[in-house]
Amino acid sequence: MYFFNAQKVNLIAGAITILTVLIAIIWAFPIYWGIVSSLKPEDEVVRPYIELWPDTLTFQHYWFALTETQIGRWYWNSIVTSLGVTVLTVATSMFAGYAISQLNFPFRRALYWLILASFMVPTQVLIINHFVLVADMGLINTWAGIILPQLISPVVIIVYKQFFDQVPKDFREAAVMDNASELRILFKVYIPMNWGVTTALSIVTFIWAWNSFLWPFLAVTKTEMMTITVGITQVNDAFGVYYARQLSAAVLAGFPVALAYLLFQRRVTEAITLSAGIKG
Amino acid sequence: MSEISLVEVSKSFGAVKVIDNLSLSIEEGELMVFLGPSGSGKSTLLRMIAGLETIDDGKLLIGGEPSHDLAPGQRNVAMVFQNYALYPHMSVRENMEFGLKNIGLPKLEIEKRVMNAARILEMDGLLDRRPSQLSGGQRQRVAIGRAIVKQPAAFLFDEPLSNLDAALRVRTRVELSELHQKVKSTMIYVTHDQTEAMTLGDRIVILNDCKIEQIGTPMEVYNTPRTKFVAGFIGSPAMNFFKFELRQTKNGREAHLIDGTTIPINLEIDGDDIYELGIRPESVSVSQAPADCSGVVKVVERLGDRTLLYSELNDGSQIVAQDSGISDIRVGQNLNFRLDQERIHIFDKNGNNVLNK
Repeated sequence: MYFFNAQKVNLIAGAITILTVLIAIIWAFPIYWGIVSSLKPEDEVVRPYIELWPDTLTFQHYWFALTETQIGRWYWNSIVTSLGVTVLTVATSMFAGYAISQLNFPFRRALYWLILASFMVPTQVLIINHFVLVADMGLINTWAGIILPQLISPVVIIVYKQFFDQVPKDFREAAVMDNASELRILFKVYIPMNWGVTTALSIVTFIWAWNSFLWPFLAVTKTEMMTITVGITQVNDAFGVYYARQLSAAVLAGFPVALAYLLFQRRVTEAITLSAGIKG
Repeated sequence: MSEISLVEVSKSFGAVKVIDNLSLSIEEGELMVFLGPSGSGKSTLLRMIAGLETIDDGKLLIGGEPSHDLAPGQRNVAMVFQNYALYPHMSVRENMEFGLKNIGLPKLEIEKRVMNAARILEMDGLLDRRPSQLSGGQRQRVAIGRAIVKQPAAFLFDEPLSNLDAALRVRTRVELSELHQKVKSTMIYVTHDQTEAMTLGDRIVILNDCKIEQIGTPMEVYNTPRTKFVAGFIGSPAMNFFKFELRQTKNGREAHLIDGTTIPINLEIDGDDIYELGIRPESVSVSQAPADCSGVVKVVERLGDRTLLYSELNDGSQIVAQDSGISDIRVGQNLNFRLDQERIHIFDKNGNNVLNK
């Protein structure tokens, strides 16, 4: 009986493992296909049958993307705007999360529900308002114009609030008895006690900001102000689409994010798990 | 070191009044214990003094200065929390320095105070450790050290020993008593443990249902409890209580217990009414000859230095008597009990001790 049960459990575990590997292959195949295609000559890419490995390995498209386009500038724009979005989002969200979690002020609960309700409004709905506002402020084609509308991140506020709620109130009371100001309580007690979540949220916010396309695409018209995600759409010429060339630019665009993911894998997974139940 | 006075203070949580018009004075250098069961309002009262709860009505004076409107950090009191509340990401030294840095003390002064507290509490070797690297007793000492370095007008302890095991609790209790003698500061200590209250307190405030039942020295509250609640709450095992009817007979005044026992009462009480007689186990002795009442032994507790006899009287009511440590009394034995007339307490129907008004 025991043997039968153990065998049954092993079979289920084996089936789940196979299923997981299959899903991972399906998910990862486009990335593999993109990387392989970017290493093929253009005529090999457009062949009408599937080739899983290039006949001729070439780095010419990468060389083109790195030397003939403004990819360096686009990288720089992405780094500045993504870091800007990350630092400002995390900073403002930690203040907001702390206030909603720990301070008593009129309409605190109303504010909390308002933030929760904002999940129901997709960014796309606000995008025209944002555009008009940013244009009126004269911020089109500027870093500030790319950064400002991306600072609205209720999910980061809610995650911070939840974590601050979990800090035993004795710590806050001890700090209050120790004559600490609210700012010192936040930065000397609450944030150090929640470094993990701050790191995780920073990494995920950076990745979101790096990958964002729609808003930077609208906020920028000049090639030299484009972020990498927008810039790679410019890697073509008057004679048509060069798939390998575009794919090589896309691989280069995704490289920092992939690197960040590899370096901070545990934190990223943690942050995605944290925000999974909340993200709208 | 300062005296602390609460003058007609009240506190409500929503519609529920938890402290009602309470007045209390704690003298300079005194160790005052707030004792009471859960929900009696003792911690709320401490938190009101600390400033962690607002005072709805009335005044708080610390060192004669009105302090009820001051922020907690400005009241010059230090609190030791039940769960220690040591910042886990800071070393012991940083934990102790934190409050001093907040008020902008010079670095040298901070260092001096931390080293002084470490010496008093004998924890010089622990300063660079994190709280997670300390035992429960060591954490407790750090929490006290964090309070000492502030050189406050008063120390507030909120059930500081309740997380320690029995042996460590006894040791830390002695250390706290020694500390009070060393620093000679005003201290307020909240506990629900009567042993802690009796051993530590210069005076005890006994709270029940958010009201003060009695204030007095440990021996006062033990020997002359003002109410039945105090009489029952202080002392282990608890005082024996028997309902009786007071009758005037030709032999004088007699207490007629429900089981039919008659006990002559040589006490002056006005009026005839139903009263309750209270007597501590150590004042109930076993008699060879017929005495005040008799009953059957149900449980014998041998504590070494004394033996407690839990017995049942004729009407089924319980009595706890005390015998010597070498007592050979066994379960099922029929015993005569003598009540020490000098140690009897009599409570009226409102629970007030009519002898200690």
